[in-house]
Amino acid sequence: MKKRILALVAAAILGFAFAQPSGTLTIAQAQDPQSWDPIDTFYLAWGMIGSSIFDGLVHRDLNMKIGPGLATSWEWTDASNSRLRFHLRQGVTFQDGEPFNADAVKFTFDRLLGPEGAKGPQQANYTSIDHVEVVDPYTVDFVMKSPDPVLITKLAGYGAMIVPPKYVTDNPPETFNKMPIGTGPFKVTEYVPDDHLTLVANPDYWGGAPKVAKVIFRFIPEPSTRVAELQAGRADIVQGVPISLADSVSKTAGVKLEAVGSPTVNALRFNTCLAPTDNLKVREAIAHAVDAQGIIDSILQGYGIPIASFQSSMSLGYDPNLKPYSYDLELAKKLLQEAGVAAGAPISIDVIGTDATNLEVAQAVASELEAVGLKPTLGTHETNTYYNDLVPKNTVGNLYYSGWGGWTLDFDNTAYLLYHTGQFWNPCYSNAKLDALLEEERATYDQAKRETILQQIAGIEHDDLIDLPLYQSKNLWGVADRVQGFVAPADDRNDLTNVSVTN
Amino acid sequence: MLRYLLRRLFQSIFVLIGITLFVSFTIRLSGDPAVAMFQGASAPTAEQLATIRKQLGTDRPFLVQYGAFLAGLVHGDLGTSFRSGQAVSSAVASRFPATLALALTSLLLSLALAIPLGVIAARRRGSGSDLAIRVFSLLGLSFPNFWLGIMLILIFAVKLRWLPPSGYSGPDSLVLPALTLGLILASTTTRLVRSSLLDVLGEQYVTTARSKGIGEQRVLYRHALRTALIPIVTYIGLQFGALLGGVVIVEQVFAWPGLGSLALNAISFRDYPTLQGTITVLAIFIAAINLVVDLSYALLDPRIRYA
Repeated sequence: MKKRILALVAAAILGFAFAQPSGTLTIAQAQDPQSWDPIDTFYLAWGMIGSSIFDGLVHRDLNMKIGPGLATSWEWTDASNSRLRFHLRQGVTFQDGEPFNADAVKFTFDRLLGPEGAKGPQQANYTSIDHVEVVDPYTVDFVMKSPDPVLITKLAGYGAMIVPPKYVTDNPPETFNKMPIGTGPFKVTEYVPDDHLTLVANPDYWGGAPKVAKVIFRFIPEPSTRVAELQAGRADIVQGVPISLADSVSKTAGVKLEAVGSPTVNALRFNTCLAPTDNLKVREAIAHAVDAQGIIDSILQGYGIPIASFQSSMSLGYDPNLKPYSYDLELAKKLLQEAGVAAGAPISIDVIGTDATNLEVAQAVASELEAVGLKPTLGTHETNTYYNDLVPKNTVGNLYYSGWGGWTLDFDNTAYLLYHTGQFWNPCYSNAKLDALLEEERATYDQAKRETILQQIAGIEHDDLIDLPLYQSKNLWGVADRVQGFVAPADDRNDLTNVSVTN
Repeated sequence: MLRYLLRRLFQSIFVLIGITLFVSFTIRLSGDPAVAMFQGASAPTAEQLATIRKQLGTDRPFLVQYGAFLAGLVHGDLGTSFRSGQAVSSAVASRFPATLALALTSLLLSLALAIPLGVIAARRRGSGSDLAIRVFSLLGLSFPNFWLGIMLILIFAVKLRWLPPSGYSGPDSLVLPALTLGLILASTTTRLVRSSLLDVLGEQYVTTARSKGIGEQRVLYRHALRTALIPIVTYIGLQFGALLGGVVIVEQVFAWPGLGSLALNAISFRDYPTLQGTITVLAIFIAAINLVVDLSYALLDPRIRYA
């Protein structure tokens, strides 16, 4: 018996020691971001793949917990929080053999904060950093321009991913856009735009070699086609299964459906500059007239989570004690009467028409408002025009759809941009008390204090009904049974290091 | 003939200017690429937007931007993509073969179906096979191409597993998208072959040929079909533009990395140079096809000469 155990242990050790990355994993996703340079885009489609190619100074795991990445530890060097010191991991190389060190970190941030970064949308997210100073080859200081309590999280992804100075400098920009190099667990070997990107395991990865040898990301915009690839056994994982196909995927043999709560929440914002939604009583009436749970159960087939403020339960600032408005038609009618709104009063709803789910939700809301005696009209628009033109200029109706979230999982990202006076996407609402609270939470690194303030902000959002939160989305992934160890990422940023495939 | 060719080429220049001017103008009405870059991100400040607009050159007046585009076009330079930073000309060149392969295969497939079916229907006018062929044409006309595409995927890729559902990986991946476009095109072409052939079969020279004792097969294929093809060639020339339009949808369904998906992505990301470049190349291509079609009449019908 003892011998047998010993033999098993020995086999396990040998097996572990000789475990070579093996097999090919095929993942189908909707969008190709077209450029792999971390400073170029803000698309989730970039994060789905970029997180396998690059590393940040800090790493956020699949449980959304922050830990060491390319930096092993960090601390403020002064009481006034003006200098943040990072101690870097030693012995790490980029996938082309270039060494990772303090110069690479400085190069990355000089580039992000300089003229090169000004060409893209990522720079705007890191303007609290004045510059980065090299202390010694494995120590850097971030010299701050202004306080940024979300900085550490932001260093875990997107624009803050560390890039190789020599490769970036020696080649024309297109080369890095098409064939990026980072320190991450997988290396790009082939990229055919709008078709596929091939990654191979980086056996020297500082966090340990990945289990799978090769990953092919295919770009398939049409959801039915993505699902067909999974059902035909040609894709192992598909992102963005539409709710209408969820049932078909769960019934397919050899495939399972995974649903994960996403940071994206959906709401109808109120236009508080337009009658009759400038009246709080009318907003309250509408809040009581809309059956969010009913919408989740029917239209979303249960793939949604009720929310009371414009954030998910993952977000800093989420208050579990805050409850959504009750569904109460009688109360809604009474409130409308008190507000002096006559039966048949017009109410306009604007929505993005290209998204089938949003449209159905808006239609459901419209029919509910009709039930309390209002006369709703539905306007549909194209995504870009809607967010970049109608919303900033406030040429929207009484209620207008908004999906918001952000991978930083911090309510500040939503609240500041949507509630603070004079913000780009907030052309109308203004509340001095709220502005003061938003400025206060932005000025401190005390996360416990920030959480309290952000919860207060959520309370004002709820009581003053700046918007009507509807539900937190669930992202649906289809996964073949031959895949082991895959965890559907809440923030869409795949971590494939522990994923393996059987044949 | 040469004078005709030169005149046509000269006209094409004005067509191209019209098309590029229209496309460049309308896409600029649809939204600001600088703002589109920030979608879902932190709010851009006015200065950040100004910097990006300056970098992209979209801060200049429209006619200056359009002039720069035309100046580049003369040198074969279609500009640089706002989104990928690649030269548009190289993106278009790398996508062109995929779209051309798909369009030509669909066209050949549609002819391979439409000509025999049209001939059978015309010869056996009023018979059961004529009726069946006419029903096929009507069905093809009523199917939207994205729906037909998804149905073909479900049957041949998911259920039967004979063919890949999507992608651009080899000859087998061409079958379903080409079938989607080809079947729909074949349905209209079949009707045209049938009616055109019926017209020609009633002409005097056909009767003359028959009265000379020439065999029916020879009358049909050597005398009648050749003349009957003229409206069909015109139709196909015109259809080629529509075919390339259909390619946009079909490429999206089948994740086919051609010009259609390039143009569609360019629209959604307000990538002006890529859209202008793609449309310009397609317009040149369609203009050239139409010229070839017009010139081919002389080959098909000896009575047609160009002055």
